[in-house]
Amino acid sequence: MNDLFGLSMNYIMGGLLVVLAIAAAAVGWVLLRNRVMFFIGVRNIPRRKAQTVLVIIGLMLSTTIISAAFSIGDTVNYSITNQAYDRLHSIDEVVQAQTGQNDSAFDSGASITSPVPIPEGQAKQYVDAFQQIPGVDGAVSVIRGPVPVSNERAGQTEPLVLLVGVPTDQTRGFQSDFEDLQGNLVSVADLGQDEIYANKSAADKLDVKQGDTLRLFVAGQGSNFTVKDILQDRVLTGTVFGEAKGLLLGLPRAQEVFQRPEQVDLIAVSNDGGVHNDLGKSKAIEKALNEKLQGTKWRAKASKLEAVNAASDASSQLTAFFVVLGLFSIAAGMLLIFLIFVMLAAERKVEMGMVRAVGTKRRHLIQMFMSEGMAYNVMAAAVGCALGIAISLVMVRVMAALFSAFDLSIVFHVTARSLIVSYSLGVVLTFVTVTFSSWRISSLNIVAAIRDISESVTKRAGLWSLTFGGLGVAFGLLLLVTGWQAALQFPFTSGFTLAMLGLALIARFAGVRPRAVFTTTGLVLLLFWLLGAGNNLPFIKKMDGGMEMFFLSGIAMVASCTWVLVYNADLMLAGLTLTGGRFSRLLPSIRTAVAYPLANKFRTGMTIAMISLVVFALVMMSTMQTNFSRIFLSDDALGGYQVRVTENPSNHITDLRAALTAAGFNGPGGGTSGIDRVDDVDVASQRVVQVRMAPAPGEKGDDFTGYPTYGATDSFIANNGVKFQARAEGLATDADVWRKMASDPNTAVIDAFSIPGGGFNIGGPGFSLKGIKQTDRTFQPLKIEVRDAASGKTREVQIVGIISFKASAMYFGLYLAPGVFSDVFPKPDSTLHFVRLNSGVSSTEMAKGIEKALLAQGVQADSLRKLIDDNQALNQGFLYLIQGFMGLGLFVGIAAVGVIAFRTVVERRQQIGMLRALGYTRRAVALSFVMESSFITLLGVVSGVALGLLLARQLITSEDFSMVGIEGFYIPWLQVLGIGAFAFLASLLMTIVPSRQASSIPIAQALRYE
Amino acid sequence: MTTQPLQPVGIPSRDGLDLIIDARDVVKTYRTDDVTVNALQGVTLSVARSEMVAIMGPSGCGKTTLLNCLSGLDTIDGGQILINGADINELSDNRRTEFRARHMGFVFQFYNLLPVLSAVENVELPLLVSGVKAAEAREKAAAALELVHLREWAKHKPSQLSGGQRQRVTIARSLVNEPAIVWGDEPTGDLDTQNAGEIMDLIIDLNERKRQTFVIVTHAPEVAARCHRIVYMKDGQIVREEILQRAAR
Repeated sequence: MNDLFGLSMNYIMGGLLVVLAIAAAAVGWVLLRNRVMFFIGVRNIPRRKAQTVLVIIGLMLSTTIISAAFSIGDTVNYSITNQAYDRLHSIDEVVQAQTGQNDSAFDSGASITSPVPIPEGQAKQYVDAFQQIPGVDGAVSVIRGPVPVSNERAGQTEPLVLLVGVPTDQTRGFQSDFEDLQGNLVSVADLGQDEIYANKSAADKLDVKQGDTLRLFVAGQGSNFTVKDILQDRVLTGTVFGEAKGLLLGLPRAQEVFQRPEQVDLIAVSNDGGVHNDLGKSKAIEKALNEKLQGTKWRAKASKLEAVNAASDASSQLTAFFVVLGLFSIAAGMLLIFLIFVMLAAERKVEMGMVRAVGTKRRHLIQMFMSEGMAYNVMAAAVGCALGIAISLVMVRVMAALFSAFDLSIVFHVTARSLIVSYSLGVVLTFVTVTFSSWRISSLNIVAAIRDISESVTKRAGLWSLTFGGLGVAFGLLLLVTGWQAALQFPFTSGFTLAMLGLALIARFAGVRPRAVFTTTGLVLLLFWLLGAGNNLPFIKKMDGGMEMFFLSGIAMVASCTWVLVYNADLMLAGLTLTGGRFSRLLPSIRTAVAYPLANKFRTGMTIAMISLVVFALVMMSTMQTNFSRIFLSDDALGGYQVRVTENPSNHITDLRAALTAAGFNGPGGGTSGIDRVDDVDVASQRVVQVRMAPAPGEKGDDFTGYPTYGATDSFIANNGVKFQARAEGLATDADVWRKMASDPNTAVIDAFSIPGGGFNIGGPGFSLKGIKQTDRTFQPLKIEVRDAASGKTREVQIVGIISFKASAMYFGLYLAPGVFSDVFPKPDSTLHFVRLNSGVSSTEMAKGIEKALLAQGVQADSLRKLIDDNQALNQGFLYLIQGFMGLGLFVGIAAVGVIAFRTVVERRQQIGMLRALGYTRRAVALSFVMESSFITLLGVVSGVALGLLLARQLITSEDFSMVGIEGFYIPWLQVLGIGAFAFLASLLMTIVPSRQASSIPIAQALRYE
Repeated sequence: MTTQPLQPVGIPSRDGLDLIIDARDVVKTYRTDDVTVNALQGVTLSVARSEMVAIMGPSGCGKTTLLNCLSGLDTIDGGQILINGADINELSDNRRTEFRARHMGFVFQFYNLLPVLSAVENVELPLLVSGVKAAEAREKAAAALELVHLREWAKHKPSQLSGGQRQRVTIARSLVNEPAIVWGDEPTGDLDTQNAGEIMDLIIDLNERKRQTFVIVTHAPEVAARCHRIVYMKDGQIVREEILQRAAR
């Protein structure tokens, strides 16, 4: 992982180390110039061990989250890179037919058939030429293709295994690629006429042992081979990303099997330096190779370098994703740090008053707390880093299970750089917070501190209130206007919020009571943010916003709600008192449980905010994900079919039903009687398909990019049940769209994800439609160009329908009318057969039966419902992973409850003694503390849940989201209640020890306490 | 209402009196890792019902310790303490707590009011913990505040009251459950002379009207002089007693 949010990790590390050095220097300066203050600051650390441990726990949480995020990024980077090196092994560059695609797709399962084979003779000339280039270790021609395989002994079959053929006499530079499981190198030249190597994945799937006989099927012909040995998974032994199973033959024998004499599909090139060579030289060699290929249809790509870079990009994105998700928790962590230091200051109020009285200045108090804070900080950050690694180890295990579905092996790894960045960032964030809190603490009233009484509260706020209020209003309005003009949510909403806060401060300066000011401000902001979600603000135009809005809305809404709660909770007290009257023995505990938190609005508000922030994020994420998932659970997602059969490109099936009958298929219901009908869709090779928006006359136009493209046959057009979310003008119904496709060969339909913002852009820039929004229901037909990169044939077509969001997952791609498809792509890569079943027939059983019956043809049959369910299960797995990570922040809130509980036991020691004297039993005292913590936690949990659900509801029911087909609003009660219950119970647990402490204080001792 | 300071009239016999407090040979020792402190060394003290007793002595003589032990706030290491005939040190912690709630009131130097509750809420606390219904407790608390002339301050928080007013609230709280004994630890220690005088007037008034027993630890001679009897302590022992007027019946 080389960058984060667009910044180089090395620069980030360097910058943080500089700031860390400044922070250390600041404290070092205190040590040198004012040793007394430094040692006063740090002396409590060894003296109050329990408190030290608690402070360290509180301070380490932000670092833990940061460290976990970076560890995950490193793990993904290492895993993908490792897998790339392992599989590519000696291959550094690959020469293939030029298609203009942006991705090096040669090693992906989506493009294992070559659209333009290289004549073998020509390939040999290139191989000889390449080997003369300085830095090139070797070059080898390769043929390959997917074949169905069966292992009779084990009774196992696989519809798709990649058969690779390499020359027997030309593997210089690639010898180490052919390695058996014991680490011995083998040679293709050692294979007999009917011998074959299987790679490990194929051996595992087919239960292959040495000596087994495998039967391969190509073009309906079967060939038997004896397995000579099992080799490691490599590209040259048939492994590609997404399909790891492979077999290896000598080139001539493989050409014979494929019935493609004197053809190869690619040339693999190896550079000097072994597997882990200097990738920096790869680009120069790529250039040298392309110079030799000038004027031909073939191009070289630095595949290993691209794979490693892709790994770095993926890990950067993942780390950024987790860091953004963790922002709530990190923010809560910083609030906790602030709270801890305010608590520490409260504990030492008298002492601080005394030292101020004898001549210590304010800055000395700041230095004292800074020193202490830094001492805790360096310890806490180290602990946090270690804990973050431990947590990421657990997360990696979960990820390994999830990512195995994508043929990705996850291996834990963390770099020194990430550790340094995590540690430094944790220390810096904490240092800033500690310094701010030290500054705030230092402005105490000396007399009030010495006498340990509350400082007098002035009715009006000071001049600072007016100053900052004015600045807030001015800056807020500037942001507001900027956001309005640019139609961007972030500046608009943050500007409004800032302006409102500024007005609140000004109102305080004017003497308006705090309750009125903060209640009004809080309610206005809550309303603003709730209505703003989903662009529902009246009189306000629609604006664009990204994931940053999730974070900003959470912070703003939680803060607003917390103000309203804290300044009005006394109304709750009145209500509780009425209820508590029925239980008079409990009434004192209830009353104090509510009254004490209300008396200390600051610490209560911070704790509520900490808990609420994280609960809000978890509930919001859970609810949004659940509602989105439900889109795909409806039958509309199936498009009118239940089974999809993907044929092997080497074994075309013209008539699926006839092929099944010929194979003796006996499916559910007998024979093929369970099948209602089969409709076909032709598939264009992804290696050659290119699309772009048709340029206006005289314009150059965008670059062509790849996009899955299909040819809708007449039967598919006439019989499918795929629905549309938008239609071209003049087409009133879905049937009209399909009729248009049937009658006009220059038409096409496309999935909803092609509209910007409609789906996820995985793997880099793809094709996006222009001139249409997700919310459009009708549109002018959109003109696009479709091209076969191999032949150059190009046609312009009109998009007349946008497939509904619900169906777009299963019917992702561009569907051309029959005429234009066959014109541009005369030879489809393969055909998809969509099967509609009769009522009551199990799609899973049918799919299995079809696959088994047509093993020789190497078909893959999938139940569409099962595909959707599996996808949902995978999404749910990722959601739980993310929720687990975000849930770390709950520990911040729980720690806050514990910190406050421990502190209040000390503060109220004398009062506890008095209560015990009056007749409170130990149990009543403990109960009082537990109820107090419960009250605060409950407010935090309830506000977090309510805000999360409200915001989710606003978004889900807004026009922006209803266009994707979400119907109604569904609350995942089990998850929501689970989140709330966990937060509540964990907080209660934190109160057990301090409440027991409180109840166990000897009365006489407590009464004497000062 | 004020009364003249009482004159000492000698020490009569305790026989025949209705003793509400009967402590014999009370011993209390504090032990830490290095130090052993014999806070009470065989203290014997009896207090008649409705008597006002002041306990005086230099700092560290064991006055507060004696008060804490007699009231059950602290345990003893030897001897016996009977309160209204009940040996309080034989009671479990919960029973002792209950006993205090029903039979005792406390007035501390620093008021020890809950700052987050209003005056009336502070006063009704002992009633609520004794199981009195909320409405009844509120009524009685209001009446107690009336007794100390603070009815109109019922809804004020302690921070909104003067020192003298706070101490009155404390006295109201100590009396609201009509305890047999009211324990005072420097009840006027934090007050100015005028307030201190008013508080003592109140205490004496309550003693005469309500016939409650008061045991007051004090440094102030003028406070002690207004009690029926003064007990002097030194080094954990009672060294002499002084009766200022005939013990109350």
